[in-house]
Amino acid sequence: MGTVIEVEDLRYTYMENTPLAHQALAGVQLSVEEGECVAIIGHTGSGKSTLIQHFNGLLRPQQGRVRVDGQDLSDPGLDLKGLRRKVGLVFQNPEDQLFEKWVGDDVAFGPLKMGLPLKEVRDRVRWAMEMAGLSFEAMKDRPTYALSGGQKRKVALAGVLALRPKVLVLDEPTAGLDPRSRKELLGRIEGFNRREKMTVIFVSHNMEEVACLADRIFVMAAGQIVAQGTPREIFGNREVLLQHRIGAPETVEILYRIQGLGYPVDVGAYELDSAAAEIVSILRPQGVKSHGPGI
Amino acid sequence: MEKGLTVRKIVIAGVLGAVAILLGVTRLGYIPVPTAAGNATIMHIPAIIGGILQGPLVGMIIGLIFGITSFLNATIPLFKDPFIAILPRLFIGVMAYLTYRGIRNLNEYVAVGMASFVGSLTNTVLVLVLAVFRGYLAPGVAWAVAVTNGIPEAVVSVVLTLAVVATGMKIGHWGRKKSKISGDF
Amino acid sequence: MAREFELTRNITVGQYLPTGSFVHRLDPRIKLLACGILILAIAFCNSYGGNLIVLAFSCLLFRLSRIPLRYGLSGVKPAIPFIVILAVLQLLFYGDIASGGRVYLEYGLIVITSDSLRLVIVSALRFIEIIFVSSVLTLSTSTTQLTHGMESLLKPLGYLKFPVHEFSLIMTIALRFVPTFAMEMEKMIKAQASRGAEFGTGSWWQIFRRTKEMLPIIVPLFRVAMERAEDLILAMEARCYTPGGTRSRFRTYQTTFRDGLTLLFILCFSLLLWMYPFPY
Repeated sequence: MGTVIEVEDLRYTYMENTPLAHQALAGVQLSVEEGECVAIIGHTGSGKSTLIQHFNGLLRPQQGRVRVDGQDLSDPGLDLKGLRRKVGLVFQNPEDQLFEKWVGDDVAFGPLKMGLPLKEVRDRVRWAMEMAGLSFEAMKDRPTYALSGGQKRKVALAGVLALRPKVLVLDEPTAGLDPRSRKELLGRIEGFNRREKMTVIFVSHNMEEVACLADRIFVMAAGQIVAQGTPREIFGNREVLLQHRIGAPETVEILYRIQGLGYPVDVGAYELDSAAAEIVSILRPQGVKSHGPGI
Repeated sequence: MEKGLTVRKIVIAGVLGAVAILLGVTRLGYIPVPTAAGNATIMHIPAIIGGILQGPLVGMIIGLIFGITSFLNATIPLFKDPFIAILPRLFIGVMAYLTYRGIRNLNEYVAVGMASFVGSLTNTVLVLVLAVFRGYLAPGVAWAVAVTNGIPEAVVSVVLTLAVVATGMKIGHWGRKKSKISGDF
Repeated sequence: MAREFELTRNITVGQYLPTGSFVHRLDPRIKLLACGILILAIAFCNSYGGNLIVLAFSCLLFRLSRIPLRYGLSGVKPAIPFIVILAVLQLLFYGDIASGGRVYLEYGLIVITSDSLRLVIVSALRFIEIIFVSSVLTLSTSTTQLTHGMESLLKPLGYLKFPVHEFSLIMTIALRFVPTFAMEMEKMIKAQASRGAEFGTGSWWQIFRRTKEMLPIIVPLFRVAMERAEDLILAMEARCYTPGGTRSRFRTYQTTFRDGLTLLFILCFSLLLWMYPFPY
């Protein structure tokens, strides 16, 4: 287990040296360990998208350092193609990027670009489609325009998975999905991380999602990482939440309210089960016998 | 087809006009080709597609938008002449539409391809005729440009138009009926 | 390298530069009309003298609108190679067509006459003048003003059944969607690059390869455009928009004495350019 992504004092300014210059990153420090599942949260315009575009070399550091799997992104002789295979980046609303007529062809685009033999491409496409939750046999010869929104997103996800990346970076993966597809997709992402041992980095505005998936959270504001820690550390710290105006998951909100009413609860217990246990614990104070079942 | 401008036609003309402007102001509107001019423009493709989908009037309006953009953004002196920049562009969509209507009953895909070819050549030929007429190019040079630039440009536009129409529109199947990765190995 | 993706952020169609000058405050309709007349006059002006006067006048326009001249020059700069190529072509091949005037040089097929030389110099000058004039127009008028101006100017065509209002609505929609599509396109280029797409790798003679490399961007761009169109159609129909109705405008323009005077001046100036027999 080593460090996969290491960012030191990264700065980035859009349209440098023009009157419209806009600093998006102002000295970011961050490191991600192999096999971790990391969430990046923060308000619109805090620099999240700019940051993740550095991970696969779409943007190169203007100042500071980015190291991905030991490679320095400032190195002029960097193997960009190799880097982009290693770090798969899934953009917001990735379904927009489908361009082939047939589902199979679209998923195969990346592997074919890598110049792999057709047999290998086929195996990768099969694997990627199954991973994304699409049946290879049933779906590969379907035209892309006839799919539903959720299916299109799976195809786009499979298109990135087919590169067999070590690190998967997702920008608001569940935005615009219905609750059911959202839940399914979250389950799949969890699977990539836990079963396939991929390092997962995702950007999200949905704190429930962050709470249930992430091992660690980075909070961004004004182009910097302003807080980091486990979900327990972040959501359990009222000051941080208020200072950066981060909405907490509903469970945490409820626990804070109960705490506000003077009951001793552990507000860091953000998971549904443990939050429920906390609530139950104050309903059954020590020493008082509960009056039968039913509460 | 309904006469005049319906809401649908207005919106589609506007949106494809936006694509024409976008292709015009970024380098994406050009594909390098092995000719004297060095570039095949693909900015006329919205006009062709507009003509095919929504008729000659829409094609003509998108052509007008393309013309005005190319006039305002021209870096080639030829297109800083409003006659050359705007007039020929009006006919791209119209010719594409007429071609498409003419052979649509034979085969939809052939019709789209031919429409794109004809639309693209309309652009080349009219621009060059006007360029000669306005005294920018000698007839000999114009012929050379017509052949070396016009033909590759037409080919490029057929490929792109067919790809756009085939993946986005539900008009029959042509070519491969299955994904490349289908079949036995 | 990183710059390659930033390109679409810089898009400006008519880069409005508000300085609040006299030119900026003119009625957009008058400005458009005056510009149109002036450009027509330039397109038909064949003399050295006339073109030099217009060149001087267009520089004056920059001063009047308090816009630095370098904005105009930046439009000329990328065109210099083309001007040179075109000039060489015209010099080489026009000798026997524009055969009037004195012959300066005759060598095989190459004939350079005073007329062909004039053609070369005048078309280069004309080009620079038109760039200057149209730059002043787009730098001093916002795109909204331009579309509204165009709509008012086209109004008389309405009597000939030309759909003036619809046309201006189309222009408004087109301009409205350019930044949206530019963002989409930037995202598209990045997304495709992330899964291994490369652009502009084929050698310049490999047309098919070059074209195929464009497909991952062009195809989604058109599809996104058509999807947006469907959404907008639905929204407009849901609000009962009917083409051809008369409608009022939030903002109206008032033509003042100053506007009239400007137009009159440009008209006289253009007529002069066109009619006056310049000695050179």
